[in-house]
Amino acid sequence: MTLDEIQQQLADMATVNDPTFSQFAHDINMIVEQAKVGQLSNADVKEILEDAQRQLAILEDMSQLAFKETLNTCINGLITIACAV
Amino acid sequence: MKQLLAILATLTLNGCAVWDAYMMTGYDSNEYRIITEIRTDAYNYKQQCANRLMSESNAILISDKTQLFEFYSEQIPRNDNGVRASKNLNAIAQGLKTQYQNNPAVSVSPLFCKLKFASIENSAAVIQHVVGRRPR
Repeated sequence: MTLDEIQQQLADMATVNDPTFSQFAHDINMIVEQAKVGQLSNADVKEILEDAQRQLAILEDMSQLAFKETLNTCINGLITIACAV
Repeated sequence: MKQLLAILATLTLNGCAVWDAYMMTGYDSNEYRIITEIRTDAYNYKQQCANRLMSESNAILISDKTQLFEFYSEQIPRNDNGVRASKNLNAIAQGLKTQYQNNPAVSVSPLFCKLKFASIENSAAVIQHVVGRRPR
């Protein structure tokens, strides 16, 4: 995959409806652009992109936790109803 | 109604997921405070990246706080997702501190500094959002 193809994919992702991921794709494309004009070194870009992977992992963990929180609320609601019947 | 709960637990949803959710860790005001401080600090420090000497001490301060958050999170029971998130957040901050340790402060790019603090701020905001909604 060439750099141009990767940037095109990121540009396509930046137009999807999910605001979190579209912003994410847009930011990564901006970093690549800044690297191309020499504002960031290759080592800096590597570090920032590794951070992007860490941020995705955080998003995944937190969405699992948010799901558990919603489920917890539902279970407690059902228990309250069960106790009242 | 108890039968309804049992049916829900065994048929509609994975039993372990229901148990995990029912037994999940509740809201912890200390945890919420630390992650809010990390987010606020990152927001403020991001704007000081033009001052390279100040940025170096800011990098040390925020990495100490993310380390505190990781140590705090890892001893909270039934908190696997939280522990992994705190480790990833700490890794982002430690990377910035390492950059200042390995290079003279003047050679660390202000843009790099800004992007690192932005990564910390965004990640802390995501964690804060979920930690604040833990069951009370």
